[in-house]
Amino acid sequence: MARFLVRAVLVRCGLLVVISIIAFAVVHLAPGEPSEVDPMNPLMKPQDIARIRAAFHLDEPFYAQYFYWLRDLATGELTSFKDGQPVLPRIWERFQNSVPLFLTAMLIVWTLAFPTGIRAAITRGSRFDRGTTFGAYLLISVPSFFLAYLVILWVVNTFDVPVIGMRTFGFEGASPLRVGMDRLWHLAIPSLMAALSGVAVLSRYVRSQMLEVSAQDYVRTARAKGLSEERVVYRHALRNALLPFVTLFGFLIPGLIGGSVIVEQIFAWPGIGRLGYEAILARDFPVILTLNFFAAFLTLLGTFVSDVLYAVVDPRIRLE
Amino acid sequence: MAQAARPASLPSGSDTALSGTTLRGEVWKQLKRDRLASTGLVVLAVLVVMALLGKLLTEWIVVFDPAMVRLPAKLLPPLAAAGAHGLAPEQLPAFGVYLLGTDELGRDVFARMLQGSFVSLSIGFVAVSIELAIGILLGGLAGFYGGKVDTLIMRFTDVMLCFPTFFLILTVVALLPPSIWNVMIVIGVTSWMGTCRFVRAELMALREQDFVRAATALGLSDARIIFRHMIPNALAPVLVSATIAVATAILTESALSYLGFGVQPPDASWGNILSDGRTFLFDAPWLFVIPGVAILIVVLSFNLVGEGLRDALNPRLRRGR
Amino acid sequence: MTTKRWLVAIPFVVVTALVQSALWVPRYETQGAGNPGRLTTYIDLGIGDAKILNPILSADSASSQVTQLVFDGLIDVNEDQQWKGRLAERWETTEEAYLTVLPGRTLPDGSPATAAAVAGRVRAALASGRLGSLAERVQAVERVPAETRELEVSIVEADADGQPVERKIPARIDAPERVKLSLDRVVSDLFEQLAPVVGEGLLEQAGAEAYLKPLGEAGPADVAALAARSAELLPVAEHNPVLTFALRRDVRFHDGHPFDAGDVRFTYEAILDPKNISPRTSSYEPVKRLEVVDDHTVRVVYKRLYSPAISAWSMGMLPEHRMNGEALAREAERRGLTGEARARFSLRESETAQHPIGTGPFRFVDWQRDEYVHLARNTDHWNGPPEMENVYLRVVPDLVTQEVEFKAGAADGYSAQPHQAARYRVDPRYQAVSTPTNTYGYVAFNLRRPLFQDVRVRRALAMAIDVDQLIEHVLYGEGQRVSGPYYVNTPYYDWDTPLVPYDPEGARRLLAEAGYTPGPDGILAKDGERLAFKLITNNGNPQRKAIMTVAQDAWRSIGVAVVTQAFEWTVFLEQFVNALEFDAVVLGWTGGDLDPDLFQLWHSSETNPYQLNFAGYASPEADALIEEIRIEYDETRQNALAKRLHRLIATDQPYVFLYSARATYVLDRRLAIVERDASGAEEFRRIEAIYGRINFFFERWRKLAQDPVFAEEG
Repeated sequence: MARFLVRAVLVRCGLLVVISIIAFAVVHLAPGEPSEVDPMNPLMKPQDIARIRAAFHLDEPFYAQYFYWLRDLATGELTSFKDGQPVLPRIWERFQNSVPLFLTAMLIVWTLAFPTGIRAAITRGSRFDRGTTFGAYLLISVPSFFLAYLVILWVVNTFDVPVIGMRTFGFEGASPLRVGMDRLWHLAIPSLMAALSGVAVLSRYVRSQMLEVSAQDYVRTARAKGLSEERVVYRHALRNALLPFVTLFGFLIPGLIGGSVIVEQIFAWPGIGRLGYEAILARDFPVILTLNFFAAFLTLLGTFVSDVLYAVVDPRIRLE
Repeated sequence: MAQAARPASLPSGSDTALSGTTLRGEVWKQLKRDRLASTGLVVLAVLVVMALLGKLLTEWIVVFDPAMVRLPAKLLPPLAAAGAHGLAPEQLPAFGVYLLGTDELGRDVFARMLQGSFVSLSIGFVAVSIELAIGILLGGLAGFYGGKVDTLIMRFTDVMLCFPTFFLILTVVALLPPSIWNVMIVIGVTSWMGTCRFVRAELMALREQDFVRAATALGLSDARIIFRHMIPNALAPVLVSATIAVATAILTESALSYLGFGVQPPDASWGNILSDGRTFLFDAPWLFVIPGVAILIVVLSFNLVGEGLRDALNPRLRRGR
Repeated sequence: MTTKRWLVAIPFVVVTALVQSALWVPRYETQGAGNPGRLTTYIDLGIGDAKILNPILSADSASSQVTQLVFDGLIDVNEDQQWKGRLAERWETTEEAYLTVLPGRTLPDGSPATAAAVAGRVRAALASGRLGSLAERVQAVERVPAETRELEVSIVEADADGQPVERKIPARIDAPERVKLSLDRVVSDLFEQLAPVVGEGLLEQAGAEAYLKPLGEAGPADVAALAARSAELLPVAEHNPVLTFALRRDVRFHDGHPFDAGDVRFTYEAILDPKNISPRTSSYEPVKRLEVVDDHTVRVVYKRLYSPAISAWSMGMLPEHRMNGEALAREAERRGLTGEARARFSLRESETAQHPIGTGPFRFVDWQRDEYVHLARNTDHWNGPPEMENVYLRVVPDLVTQEVEFKAGAADGYSAQPHQAARYRVDPRYQAVSTPTNTYGYVAFNLRRPLFQDVRVRRALAMAIDVDQLIEHVLYGEGQRVSGPYYVNTPYYDWDTPLVPYDPEGARRLLAEAGYTPGPDGILAKDGERLAFKLITNNGNPQRKAIMTVAQDAWRSIGVAVVTQAFEWTVFLEQFVNALEFDAVVLGWTGGDLDPDLFQLWHSSETNPYQLNFAGYASPEADALIEEIRIEYDETRQNALAKRLHRLIATDQPYVFLYSARATYVLDRRLAIVERDASGAEEFRRIEAIYGRINFFFERWRKLAQDPVFAEEG
């Protein structure tokens, strides 16, 4: 067990270095300078631009820039090109904003997908099954921002309530309950939008797992014992169908960064996805690279956790 | 969340020992029985025809001119009759009607959608071709040779899987000079990992089969064995994932367009028509709804056909029907 | 089955909890219910987040929006487009002029020129009335003894990659004795007037380079580099305009610390400090030195005549006590910075750039990145406290969701797109304001391309575009045509310059005159060369994209083949505009207040890569006018020169000058301007915008509980 863990950690560290080098190469070899080096600013002279380039080490060779980045990341002194502020606290701050959105979305995904998927599996071929199947395909196939705009439009036109951002402003005088509910409402629509395709995918997955499992011998045995169908499904089939979801958990974490760009952009949510998007627009290399590094780290962490979980849950897998 | 759109359920290992011809016939029969999938197939067929016609009628023989600006006739609703806007006769649309209305510059939305259909479809197909080429090549090498080659390739696959895909695509597309080819290539290059893994798994299984041993004994070259004999036998799951990948690529392009990095004018794609259309959401909702629904239908068709194929190819599920 | 029950109950509870929360959220009509503070809060929406909240470092509009409310400049523009005092109570412009008397030169009467002799002759001439009104201007004539200065001269060269590199040459200047004239205002032609008295020979620059010596190991290149700059390093005839500001005495920073002349000096020095990398350095380059006369008087001495100089002093003034070296060292210490990070620690990294303290009408409270900046009113402001108690500048990155948020009452105002504003103008539930701005849009040609060297081609292309239709349909009427390079708000714009008429027939004739005939494919061609080019712009700006599309269509109809493409901003600049690799671009200029100086935009010396005259416009006549405007201190004459320049560039048509779009803003209808008469009685006025500034009267904006009744309507 210990050897397995050490090996897994070492391999992942190696991967992390390779990833950071690739990411660094991609970002630095592409054309375009940080937007702070804005040559269209009529007030900027060539010597100013040269000075800015030097301050950002942009005039040095590639490997030296990589080294500076790594060193500054390690010492926590990495600063953004855009405003010269430390990168790590900024990412942490945004991460905290994204977490409620992510968690609410996950809550919706997991609580909605299971009952839907299970019912679809039990009543296979029924109108409900066909309806949810088609519904799931619709949700997977719709461009997420298209749907989000339609929903926003509908909510605002029908109910006349604001939906953008994390909170209502100028609300200092209101009671804490109202403020809390206001925050909850501002979470509701974006997290629902972020959750929809997840619900579709996961409910399909639950359904197929349940079908798979219900064809297994032990389920048939349970059924043969004369147990009620409900009992067979929820007691015997569901438990065994749950196993593969353990791995899914590990892969969910990185969705925090990549998956949130569009939702956060639409809903003006100051989360980590928007931080990344703004950094891309501004060519803020330290932020882009660190976010990417962070995402890779989370993915590796996720796979690590799911490997371990899997090994713990499923005795058939031995840790070698 | 475009990258989440790929359904997670994929065949765990279909029975590829079935010989090609009977499999094909079987699958076809199965597909035709699946109402959703066959509808999807019909829609796709119509779409391909439309895309080709679109290319023909908007660029080579200009019947519908997507670039014609008619400012006084801006933001007309669908089916609005042309005329009465002080336009010259040669500025009027074909058949004297704006089938899908006009946009903020008075361009014919129908003509633009026609032109965009070709672009959108080619993004899907080209991106997926690139994805397949890389995935099959790397997966083939890894699965056939195993050992060090396999380790190396799979490690690289792991590295690629660790990138937050959409964020990576966004970064690269934003940094590269904008061109429709870059969008396709970047989507392709960042999404081959799944294909690579299937192909590898299939080949690992096939490697031990008699026909491969026989081929090796005959002294055929490795390349010939891999690409002529093994890959065709491993294509079934690849076909399924490719069909769905086209859908994903089209969605990814529209998401990129929303963020301003998709296909750039003068090329019109459904993604950028949709993204531009949202500016006038309150004034001319059809500018947003038409391309949105069009994308929905196409992506839905691809997904349904892909799922239909999967069901048809998966004998275990088929038995259950 | 409990499992089943849980499986169904949990999603039901989750969804219900989320949906019911909508009932607690305030709406447009009920904003103030249970929340009286809402009426004294103004919430604004912007597309982008601020970058850095220090007026000397920021260059983006979101940051300036904040710093303009938090900081005060010395001066400001008033309703009539004239400078008015802000932190400065008043100011005056005087001049010190120096005539360096190079040894060995002679006076007109043949005697050797010494400073004493020259001064004597000038005094005598002034007393005799020979110099006319100059005698009233000159306050004193003195002799200044010879002196030796050592300094480093910085020279910008291109390195192997073509990137600019700065090099410093240590040098010594052995300045001979000089005659100093003090004048009560700037006399641009002072030396021309003095020439008959002291002799032309005495004013010659040639020969001054002999008194410039490189120090240390210097090659001939250094000597030549110094000589090339002798007019700057040791001018023989030198104008030193002087701006003297008298500062207000009742101003305090938000932390209670009084504002004085030391803060002005500090701000100036901070801008020049290379560590801060201020993008505004070049505006202060003409400053020779800044002197603190007393706590409330500052003298700024300029190196040479530079009439637009005053505009630089609208810059917000920084608090020295929070930002000087000592304060920064303390902060670096507290943050535990070491090594390189400590060495480069500057105002840019300092938390003063995140948490600004100024003297302005609003004090800074809080900034959540990409979400909002929160300001609160400064009750201690020298101009009286503003009406609004809280101001939130929110970031909503999408124009459509901005509108959604505004409609729902979660914001009081935002800068709307013209088509949105057009809708709100007729909607009684909201109000819309618009004002002309210091901007104009254009299509610029790359004049280096042979195709565009013929002015007839440029004019024909301009005539083919129906700008009026563009304004009517793309801007929804919120704009006006412009004829040339000055902004319509300024006194420099020449209203007599005719606009290019929309005349596609005329355009075809003009092209035919220029030798273009239709080719087999319907495209015009001359000597087998098709009239075809590429028109590009940046994406993200719907108006520019519209101009691009309309221009392409218009030009296609007169037989010009145009390919269009939009690029991401950075790529667009780096690879096309700055590299001068373009045929034609759609772009726009946005300018500051009251600046007649077009040097960077139109002077022929600014046509290199990375410079702003990327069109490559080079006209000796325009160059002369541009230079003349820079040294003309008389407003009337300066305006006349500027108008001539405007007309000249308009006629040469290096750009297709399109339109100046108006800024359109939509607001909550309950907002009004409060006016108090002498007795303190209040009246309400409709929100009014002044010359490009929607929020000109922002300090007097108030949000009322009901729809306001306006004074002028009874």
